[in-house]
Amino acid sequence: MESRPLVVVGAGAAGTAAAIEAARAGAHVTLVDENPIPTSIVALNVPQLFGQRFSDELNDSQLMTDCVTASNQRLVEAEEAGVDIQLGTCVWGAFNNTETSRLLDGPQIGLSNYRRSWMVKFDRLIVATGTRDLSIGFSGWHLNGTIGANGVHSLITRYRALTARRMVIIGSGNLALNTAKMALDHGIDVPAIVEVSPTLQGDASLATDLQNRGTDIYTSHTISRAYGRDGEIESVTIVEIDDHARPITGTEKTITADTVCLAIGLTPNVELLSLLGCDLSFNADLGGHIPIHDDAMSTSIENVLVAGDAAGVHDAMALDPEIARNQGRIAGLTAAASLRTITDAEAESRISDIPTIPFAPSDTQNLRQKWFDSFANAGGHNIYVCPCEEVTRADIVGIHPPRYLEWRSNQMDGRSLQTQLQDNPVNPNQIKRLTRAGTGTCQGRHCREQVALLLAEESKTDVSQIPLSTYRPPVRPLPLSVLWPEDESEEIRNQWPKWFHPPGKVLG
Amino acid sequence: MPPITADIAIIGAGVSGLASAYYLAKAGLDVVVVDKGLAGGEASGRNGGMIGERTDDPPVIPIAVESINLWKTLEQELGYPTEFTHQGRIQVAVTEEEMNDLFTERDVASRQGITMELIDPEHVQDLIPGISPRVLGGAFFPNGGHANPQRSVQAFAWAFQDLGGRLYQNTAVTGFKLGNGRVAAVETTAGDIAADMVISAAGPQTAILAEMVGVHVPVAPARVEILATAPIEPLFDIALVGNGLYGRQAVRGNLLFGGGPHEWADVDLTSDPNKTNTPLIINIGRRLAEILPAVADVPMLRTWAGIVEQAPDYIPIIDFLPDPSNYLVVTASAHGFGICPATGKAVSELILNGESSIDISAFTLSRFSDIKSDWRQQRGWVPAA
Ligand SMILES: Cc1cc2nc3c(=O)[nH]c(=O)nc-3n(C[C@H](O)[C@H](O)[C@@H](O)COP(=O)(O)OP(=O)(O)OC[C@H]3O[C@@H](n4cnc5c(N)ncnc54)[C@H](O)[C@@H]3O)c2cc1C
Ligand SMILES: Cc1cc2nc3c(=O)[nH]c(=O)nc-3n(C[C@H](O)[C@H](O)[C@H](O)COP(=O)(O)OP(=O)(O)OC[C@H]3O[C@@H](n4cnc5c(N)ncnc54)[C@H](O)[C@@H]3O)c2cc1C
Repeated sequence: MESRPLVVVGAGAAGTAAAIEAARAGAHVTLVDENPIPTSIVALNVPQLFGQRFSDELNDSQLMTDCVTASNQRLVEAEEAGVDIQLGTCVWGAFNNTETSRLLDGPQIGLSNYRRSWMVKFDRLIVATGTRDLSIGFSGWHLNGTIGANGVHSLITRYRALTARRMVIIGSGNLALNTAKMALDHGIDVPAIVEVSPTLQGDASLATDLQNRGTDIYTSHTISRAYGRDGEIESVTIVEIDDHARPITGTEKTITADTVCLAIGLTPNVELLSLLGCDLSFNADLGGHIPIHDDAMSTSIENVLVAGDAAGVHDAMALDPEIARNQGRIAGLTAAASLRTITDAEAESRISDIPTIPFAPSDTQNLRQKWFDSFANAGGHNIYVCPCEEVTRADIVGIHPPRYLEWRSNQMDGRSLQTQLQDNPVNPNQIKRLTRAGTGTCQGRHCREQVALLLAEESKTDVSQIPLSTYRPPVRPLPLSVLWPEDESEEIRNQWPKWFHPPGKVLG
Repeated sequence: MPPITADIAIIGAGVSGLASAYYLAKAGLDVVVVDKGLAGGEASGRNGGMIGERTDDPPVIPIAVESINLWKTLEQELGYPTEFTHQGRIQVAVTEEEMNDLFTERDVASRQGITMELIDPEHVQDLIPGISPRVLGGAFFPNGGHANPQRSVQAFAWAFQDLGGRLYQNTAVTGFKLGNGRVAAVETTAGDIAADMVISAAGPQTAILAEMVGVHVPVAPARVEILATAPIEPLFDIALVGNGLYGRQAVRGNLLFGGGPHEWADVDLTSDPNKTNTPLIINIGRRLAEILPAVADVPMLRTWAGIVEQAPDYIPIIDFLPDPSNYLVVTASAHGFGICPATGKAVSELILNGESSIDISAFTLSRFSDIKSDWRQQRGWVPAA
């Protein structure tokens, strides 16, 4: 198996800076990034909410590679610093020994270029995987045209392939305002920005610019429903809400739009960190479950570092990639020092030159909760939490078996989340098994946070107390033929046991 | 804290414990079930869901056959869905050696009165569209099937509660109070349980619990892995075994297939053992694409792992300890899901009538009377260093 001294996952601001810094400090660095992602996966809304608003150009992988390269000028710097850059390469798995899995010869990751896959051992790993769109569903959000802020950002800056024409934006933080600006700059109409709280959340001057360009900002509003034909969004109805996030009748307004952009938050991509066993903690102000790390960006697992939005994200980071970049540089230097390509003293001195930018905690959790409540108040409880498996909020609260089973019984009618709660604190893994929320082709990206919010609400506990639903490889939905291990060992091939009759020997 | 009292205390809310609890409660006994985690949180909620007559392990045939009878009406009996699908089980051979296995099983089947048909590759193709042309032949067992493990184990748990049974989850058994050759009380993290009878249905923890009452019960834990693909259009509803894998197309459409190397593990009394996935999942995926080339381009969506319980001869144990005499061991040697309804029935009959109408004579503990305490080391069934 191939072995690499330092692998950096994610070539965004953080990962690229980490790679450059480590390479300049003498480390042999491999930088991988999944972009360009093939259309088949983008169409599944993986890893972002792309909303089916992309052009056919996405099928031209050479063109897309050129676009992705051009979108990140620092890749040139990285190349000059000697970084081995592998674009169009995703990391679908990360493996480490545990108490019951002791046969790996060192920590390793599974990579794929979407045609084949291979394993790589690493001495150091920097996880700079950024975030994914926080999805909270409203009525009609399962229609084509519901996109996320990261989806917009990616389709505009990385792929130049966004096909949205008229976009209503949900949220008014800097993430939302920035998305609106980017959309307007690309000739997309932005008739409305909708904000659930009474006050604008982001930068006031940026908001004024947007208003001057014709965008209306509706505070104390929510979306009550997106309407569509043939599965495509055609219009959205927004409504004013009261102090309890309840819609005020008579204030509905319907806006023509083909796209609704959820820009209410981002969730750090901790899947690989979770697979490796890094300790995570819940911090609402930093986006949810985030890796515990020290000032040098080391996680609780030796040799695994983190940087950028993946380490925790807040709204200021959407305006200022410098924060992620600085974290990347620190992680790069820490990794280089631990690989002994520079001294600890040298690393420390270089790190001390990197400014740390303080962040002001915001009201993230309350806002998320308010969006969550207002969507149901205005749109009802038959909103899909898990659009892939068509599981609604009501289904989860009632722990209904999937509709295709067509199961009815008095006994089943007597069961609900509340009866489950009499026995135990609720567990998202269990809810997944009973309702199938989270088992669809987006691999739970749409519903994880919503299920947690719903369980917290129903159990009257803080969302921080809801356990993280388990991440499992592959963290990208890759075909069996792509994951196919070409180099399968003779041992695995020939000593494969029959039905639960294990041979005496243990295999790796 | 005053002890909880009950007629029967059952350790383990897997399928073995809960099916036993259900039939005992149905017979009117006051039953308490405790589990260190959630009902069905271990192998019982993580397995392949395969249900067959077990001609590969002949001593298991009687309980397996009775189980299938019970599966047929289990949803109605319990009041909750199990996704039981009774369209047969097919075992296909891709090598001459596997063809020989099929001949052996045919002989077993005909001796035991099990209906099975050896079929040619074209017929296999009819039953499992898209199967590899490398298949040399198959054995079709019309009486086999499959079910959804998570739903089934939950169905038993709920139905048991509906009968008034008490289920304490997140409650671990940590010891026993002994007296006069009996277990006087089961010690748990929620206090003592005083019961006339204790049933250990603790899967991989079977041996360490028995150790605490001074008896050596040979059961070794091993970690195994399994995967799920994205859902596809209905392709087959028969349980499929072949190319080293076992699996099914779920009612929803996903293909769920497992198999491959076991990693021997150690477990403890109270914690949740790691159910880690390893790169083995892509070897499983490859074998699935080999045997069903038609699905090679379907995405793998999820994987998981579970801890199975293995006795040295791969056969279940359902037997009382000689001392303490009110301690019944119930463990399944990785056959537990398919046979669970009949396990529950056999256990309840054993307790109520002193004997079971199902032939479980091969499941005694005395068959291990000569086994050495270091049998795991000798077999190599121990965790890697
Ligand atoms: C609306 C909006 C506007 C923005 N405007 C700007 C801007 O003007 N200038 C700017 O520089 N930045 C901009 N950004 C980006 C953002 O500000 C910074 O990039 C940032 O804070 C995060 O950097 P990062 O490197 O941590 O993550 P990201 O930039 O998100 O990079 C993470 C990378 O890792 C990849 N990745 C994740 N998981 C895997 C995996 N398993 N395998 C392989 N690859 C993986 C991702 O696809 C992604 O390419 C904008 C973002 C948004 C949402
Ligand atoms: C991946 C996989 C695939 C499988 N496929 C199949 C299949 O297709 N068909 C089939 O028939 N079988 C299959 N099996 C085997 C089957 O799942 C098991 O034989 C069966 O589930 C065993 O059930 P059980 O109730 O005896 O044990 P378990 O399900 O292991 O339950 C034991 C319970 O005891 C609890 N416990 C342990 N110690 C304590 C303690 N100290 N205090 C309190 N509680 C405790 C545990 O938490 C656990 O919940 C498979 C297993 C796996 C892992």
